Amino acid sequence: MLLATLGLAVGLMAGPARAEEGTIKIAAPAAFTGSAAGYGDNIKAGVSMKVDEINAAGGINGKKLEVVFFDDQCEPREAATVSTSIINDPEIVGIVGHLCSSAHLAGLPAYVREGIPAITPTATSVAISDKNKDEDGKVWSFRNVYRDDFQGKFLADYIDKVMGLKKVAVFYENNDYGIGLKTAFVQEAKKLGLTVVGEEAYKKGDQDYTPQLTKLKAAAPQALFVAGYYQEGALIADQAVKLGLDVPKFGADGFDNADYIKLGGKATDDTYLTAPFLAETAGPAAQKFIEAFKVRYKRDLDWMSANAYDATGLLAQAIAKVGPDRAKIRAYLAGLTTPEKGYKGITGNNYFDASGDCLKPAFVKVVKDGKFVPAAKQMQ
Amino acid sequence: LRFRKARASPVSEPALFEQQLVNGFTLGLIYALIAVGYTMVYGVIELINFAHGEIYMLGAFLTMSFVSMGLPLPVAVLVAVVATAGIGVLLDIVAYRPLREAPRLAALITAIGMSIFLQNLAMIIWGSRPLPFPKQVLPAFFDQPALTFTSVTISWMQLSIYAVAILLMIGLNLIITKTRVGTAMRALAQNRTAAALMGVSVNRVISFTFAVGSAMGAVAGIMVSVYYNTMYPTMGYLAGVKAFAAAVLGGIGSVPGAMLGGVVLGIAETLGAGYISSPYRDGVAYAVMICVIIFRPSGFLGRSMVEKA
Repeated sequence: MLLATLGLAVGLMAGPARAEEGTIKIAAPAAFTGSAAGYGDNIKAGVSMKVDEINAAGGINGKKLEVVFFDDQCEPREAATVSTSIINDPEIVGIVGHLCSSAHLAGLPAYVREGIPAITPTATSVAISDKNKDEDGKVWSFRNVYRDDFQGKFLADYIDKVMGLKKVAVFYENNDYGIGLKTAFVQEAKKLGLTVVGEEAYKKGDQDYTPQLTKLKAAAPQALFVAGYYQEGALIADQAVKLGLDVPKFGADGFDNADYIKLGGKATDDTYLTAPFLAETAGPAAQKFIEAFKVRYKRDLDWMSANAYDATGLLAQAIAKVGPDRAKIRAYLAGLTTPEKGYKGITGNNYFDASGDCLKPAFVKVVKDGKFVPAAKQMQ
Repeated sequence: LRFRKARASPVSEPALFEQQLVNGFTLGLIYALIAVGYTMVYGVIELINFAHGEIYMLGAFLTMSFVSMGLPLPVAVLVAVVATAGIGVLLDIVAYRPLREAPRLAALITAIGMSIFLQNLAMIIWGSRPLPFPKQVLPAFFDQPALTFTSVTISWMQLSIYAVAILLMIGLNLIITKTRVGTAMRALAQNRTAAALMGVSVNRVISFTFAVGSAMGAVAGIMVSVYYNTMYPTMGYLAGVKAFAAAVLGGIGSVPGAMLGGVVLGIAETLGAGYISSPYRDGVAYAVMICVIIFRPSGFLGRSMVEKA
C-alpha cells in the first residue's frame, strides 16, 4: 500500500511537469562565480546561442530545448555537489561541461556510475580519458577540445622548431590542468634536447609571483612557458617584465581570453598561445556566428564560446537522432568515430577516438601591440 | 631594454637572496597593514572580524570606481579610504553591536556571514571578472627603478609602499599610545566593564577602532591593486587568511606584533617559495607560524593569556 502510494506520488510529480512543458533538458555546469567566472560567462554565451538558435528553428522534433546552468566555481567539492543534482534530475538527458578539468574529474564518477553522457568543451586534462569509462568499458564523457599533452607537446615543438629557442623556464599552476600541461611540455622538451632551466609552481588566485620569477630569472631562460589561466598569467607577465625577465612567453588555451591583455597591459606583448579555434581561419558558417556573437555579447568570440556552441550542437544532434534517452545519446556519440560521421561545427570536424577524445589541430596566436593576432608561422 | 645586461649573465646567489628579501618585505608590509585591522578589533572586542578581508577588497574597488568617475587619484584614494572606514563602522553597528553581549561564537559566525555578503555584493556591483587598476592615472615614474644596487632594484612603487606602510604604522602607534581615544582603546582592551564605569564611551571607541582598522585595510587594498595591477571580489579571502595568520604570529591583540608578524610571514613565504618549494609556498609560511606558536603560544609580542583571565 505504502509502496503504491509512493509510486503514485512519484508518478504525479514527474508526470505533469514533463507533459506540461514538453521540453528537453540539458545541464551546463561551469564556474559562474569565483575566479574562473569569466570563463563561465563564455560557456554560458556559447551554449545559450546554440539553444536559442535551435528553439527559434522549432526545437528538437517539436520540443523546446532547455538548458540548466549549474555553478561549480571550478572547485572539485562544488562540482561533486553539482553532479549529484544533475544525476538526480531524471529530466536532464545530457551535459555540456564541466568547464575546468578539476571540476570535471570530480563530477565524472557520478556521471559514469549513473550513466549520463557529458561533452566537455574545455576540460583538457589527460586524466579524464582514464576515468570516463564504466565497468563495461563504455565511455560516458566526451570532449571536443584537445588534451593537455597535445598542447604541451605542441608548444615545446613550436618553441624548438619555429622559434629556435633552447632554454626554457616553466611556471605552472599547481592543479590538474597546470601539472598535466607542464608534464607533457617538459617530456617533449627533453626529447627535443631543450634545456628546462627551472620548474616552479604557483597557486590559483595568487597575486604575488615575484619569488618564483626571481628564481627563474636567475637561471637566464630564453622563453617562459606558463601552464595556467589568463588571470594569473596576466599578473605573471606583468611581474616578470617588472623584474626584468623580458623574454617571449608561451601559454595554452587557458590564456586565450581578451582579459589577459586587459589585465596585463603592455607586458603581455610577445605572448604565444595555442588556440583550438582561430576566427581568422574559420569557414563562412563560423564567420556568420562570429558576427552574431559580437552583436549579442558586445565582445569578440573566444574559443570557449565557440567550443561550447559546438558541444551543444552536437548534443542536440544526438538527441534529435535517437531521442531524449541518456544511454542512447551516449551510444550515438560513441559511434562518431570517423571524420565522415563527425559533427561539422564552426570549430571544425568533431569526432571521437575510443577514449572519447577528439584531435583537432592547434593554432598559434601572438599578442602584438595589445591585440591577439595569428602568429606569422603556424605549425600544422 | 635596461635589463638586457642583467639577463645576459645569471644572477649571483647573494643578489638573488637580496632580491627575494625585497620581494618578501614588500609583501610582508601589505600583510602587516591588513593584520593591524584584525588585531585592533580583536584587542578591543575579542572578535575575529573575518569580513576584514572584504574591507580590504572594497578599498581597491572603490578607488577604481572613483578614479573612473573622473576624480584625481589623491582625491579618489582619500574618498575611498574614508568611505571604507565608514563601511567598517557600519559593519560593526549593523552586524556586531547587536551581538555584543551574545556568546562570542555568534559574532564570529556573523563575521563569516558578512564576509560572504560583502564578497557577493561586490560581485553584483563590479562583476566577477578581475579588473585592472586604471594605470593611466598613476605617475609614470612609478614603475621605474628608484634604487639600484648591483642587481637588486627597488621600484618607486615599492618605495612608496614602504613609505606609506611605515608612516601609517608610526601614526597608528602614536594614536594608540599618545591620544585620549588611544588610551580609551587600551582601557577597553584591558577591561571593558571597568572602562565603561570610568566613563569611556564604549561604542564610540569601538566605532573608532573599526574606522581606523578599516582605513588601514583599505590602504593595503589600494596598494595591492596598484602594485599587482588587479582586483577581484574574492581577493580579500586569501589576503585575509594570511593577514590573520600574521596577526596570530605577532600576538593577536598587539599592534606592533601584527606589524612584525606581517613582515616575518611575508619574508618566510617568499624565501620558502624561492628556496624550499614553490608548490608549498603557503605551507612554509604557515609552518613558520605554527613553530612560533608552539614555543610562544601568544605570538611574538602577544599578552600572555593569564592577564585576561
